[in-house]
Amino acid sequence: MALTGRAALLALLGVFVVLFAPRPGLAMAGTALLLTALIAVDLLLAAGVRPLRFSRAGDRLVRLGETATVELIVENPGSRRARGVLRDAWSPSAGAAPRHLTLDVPPGERRRLVTTLTPTRRGDREAVTVTVRTLGPLGVAARQGSHRVPWSVRVLPPFLSRKHLPAKLSRLRELEGRHPSMIRGQGTEFDSLREYVVGDDVRSIDWRATARRNDVVVRTWRPERDRRVLIVLDTGRTSAGRVGTAPVPLAGETARKRDVYGATAIAPGWPRLDWSMDAALLLAALAARAGDRVDFLAHDRSVRAWVSGASRTDLLSTLVNTMAPIEAELIEADSAGMVAAVLARAKRRCLVVVLTDLNSASLEEGLLPVLPQLSSRHLVLLAAVSDPQVAAMEAGRGTSELVYNAAAAERQSAERRRITARLRRHGVEVVDAAPEQIAPALADAYLALKAAGRL
Amino acid sequence: MSLGTVRGAGLAPAAEARTGPTSTSPTARSLWRGGRGALLVALVVVLVAVGGVLLTGGSGGGRPLDPADTSLSGGRALAQLLRAHGVRVTRVTSAAEALAADSGDSMLLLSDTSFLDDEEAGSLAAMPADRLVVGAQPHLDVLAPGVTSKGTTRARSREPRCALPAATRAGSAHMGGMVFGAPSGAVVCYPSGEGPTLVSYVNEGRTITVVGDGQFMSNLRLAEDGDAALAMNLAGARSTVIWLVAPDVLPQDTEARSFYDLVPSGVKWAVAQLALVVVLLALWQGRRLGPVVTERLPVVVRAAETVEGRARLYRARRARDRAAAALRAGFIDRITPRLGLPSAAGPDAKIGAIAERTGQAGAHVGSALYGPPPADEAGLIALAAYLDMLERQVRES
Repeated sequence: MALTGRAALLALLGVFVVLFAPRPGLAMAGTALLLTALIAVDLLLAAGVRPLRFSRAGDRLVRLGETATVELIVENPGSRRARGVLRDAWSPSAGAAPRHLTLDVPPGERRRLVTTLTPTRRGDREAVTVTVRTLGPLGVAARQGSHRVPWSVRVLPPFLSRKHLPAKLSRLRELEGRHPSMIRGQGTEFDSLREYVVGDDVRSIDWRATARRNDVVVRTWRPERDRRVLIVLDTGRTSAGRVGTAPVPLAGETARKRDVYGATAIAPGWPRLDWSMDAALLLAALAARAGDRVDFLAHDRSVRAWVSGASRTDLLSTLVNTMAPIEAELIEADSAGMVAAVLARAKRRCLVVVLTDLNSASLEEGLLPVLPQLSSRHLVLLAAVSDPQVAAMEAGRGTSELVYNAAAAERQSAERRRITARLRRHGVEVVDAAPEQIAPALADAYLALKAAGRL
Repeated sequence: MSLGTVRGAGLAPAAEARTGPTSTSPTARSLWRGGRGALLVALVVVLVAVGGVLLTGGSGGGRPLDPADTSLSGGRALAQLLRAHGVRVTRVTSAAEALAADSGDSMLLLSDTSFLDDEEAGSLAAMPADRLVVGAQPHLDVLAPGVTSKGTTRARSREPRCALPAATRAGSAHMGGMVFGAPSGAVVCYPSGEGPTLVSYVNEGRTITVVGDGQFMSNLRLAEDGDAALAMNLAGARSTVIWLVAPDVLPQDTEARSFYDLVPSGVKWAVAQLALVVVLLALWQGRRLGPVVTERLPVVVRAAETVEGRARLYRARRARDRAAAALRAGFIDRITPRLGLPSAAGPDAKIGAIAERTGQAGAHVGSALYGPPPADEAGLIALAAYLDMLERQVRES
């Protein structure tokens, strides 16, 4: 049960009665009894909460940054009108609004209540409880109870880099046979024969075919197809670090008003993992369009997710669904295990794109010793999100504090360059770009590899 | 695969779920099931408490040597013994009552006189009845003139070692407490190392007996040694015992009527009603609509924090050498490809190339790149600025 402000108001009126009554003690007992009676009557006449029936409808999926609507259908099988308030409680980062809904369901009818969700982070958001408070006819007291009406909304990665997709696709078409290439490159395969037109490279004339016909025939080339791309997402501790500026407001961001040192608060940004996912999605969309097979592996100390053999049409939806609940774990990634997992899954030569951080300590101890096993069988491309904050610190001059900051940032950058150089000596391609640039940079690296025929 | 497909993944077709009874509120039956264990425990606790109180028989606060007190320190046992031997025991709680109870053949037993003022003590001292003063009393000089306090000793079983018949007949008793200096002609008994603990003498026709400690008369000790005999001999020498104890409730000043007495009772009840209003307001505002929802959030840590921490360490330790080395290494890493030199080129080649491109003195460039670390903060700042300038000139040349 619950009381309302009216109960307190009635008791307040009772104060005046008690103050001026000839027998104040009796008057107080009388008002208390009257109030109790009113509350009891109201509770008895309020619609029951337990018999209410609930069901849900609405969105099951929403992209981060967009708004989903979930409907709650309340059915009142009782004989009294259910009038009051209802709270449809979701976990805080689901961003449910409004907090309280007004309930008014006549007997035997049903009503549809709409809650909008604006989630602030990826993952599965669950409905927790539906709490109903039905008022009695006097509005003095209310019955209250909770129902469990499960529903979950999966918040997908926003795939913000899809704005780069048209540009990258036109680059791909240039490589592809839509604009048949006369240039015979290393990574091209024979496409078809066609008649010579003025302007074609005479070196591509196929003399054997020309001899069979009366016409001069040239060969055309196109980039190789049906290659394999395996995207490996490192979900270890280095992926939890936040960089850049979060494109959507984040859960937990408002809680961090001030830095430890009282300096102006710096927005914590987005985890490297989310930027990496964005880049992985653009690469997957591009590679699928280019006719390559895309597999996906998320790994820290064990395999967190594995997507293989998704058809080209539903690859992206499978990927975003798989990525949605993945969070960075605060443990050191097991690179040997990751390499073993890749080798066990990729039997044929493929492009292994490892999305991780160029952290010299963890790479030197983890990935570098086992890298030859991987790079001897596959082409390895390592993509890392750099921190724009470090780049900004590098430019600091003028005061000793800023110069020390710059020195520390320089040292970090030097370590990144050193590890990059070591990786390149192992034959690994390295893409190191700022958060906003990582997705197009990775796509460019892929297109360059494809053009060079190194896949 | 098209963008349309991607969008389709984001907005799945609306689905509907139907459910049966979903209430999570406890029913009366589940409340009873969940709470009956606690209820049983509470019932057992109440029963044990009630039983304990009934069985111990209201030992109350424990008033030492009160003839009505049944606790271990009380004097109910002695009072009963005295009554069994035909002595009338009158319990009084003030000097006036004591004076009124005097029947001529009386023994005034004083176990607590701390509540008496000097005047009342004087009136008691003037009573013709015999007196038995037990333990340390504030009015000892008035109630037993000539007897002085000479300190205290431990209470234990002691021998009488005197000619007082009451003591010799009783034998050893649990005596101690105060040690007295006796007036001339007094009988002193139960001596300890420091002096006697019982003094008996005649003053103005009445026998005054002073005992150092009343424990031997208490319910606890009465059955030990010759305690009962000694107590009976001392207290039961007359036909009536006037036993003075502290009043149950100390008298209070009831003269002034406080402000609250003048307030009409209606206001008091109205205040009580206001308290009820506050309680109702609290119940109204305090009732939450459903539980607080918690969530496991991912950690929020900026990746740049390690770099910032390293910078603070440099600054705290004034590590100019390391800072300068990092700045120089970064500069050389960036500038070498611009100079068209291999990264393995020696320092002299780099210095020469930079001096040639920028027009700076070679020695100056050399000391900036490979010289000793700056001597102070200003030197470090200047070094950073100089390296910036060199880089800009190389880029623009």
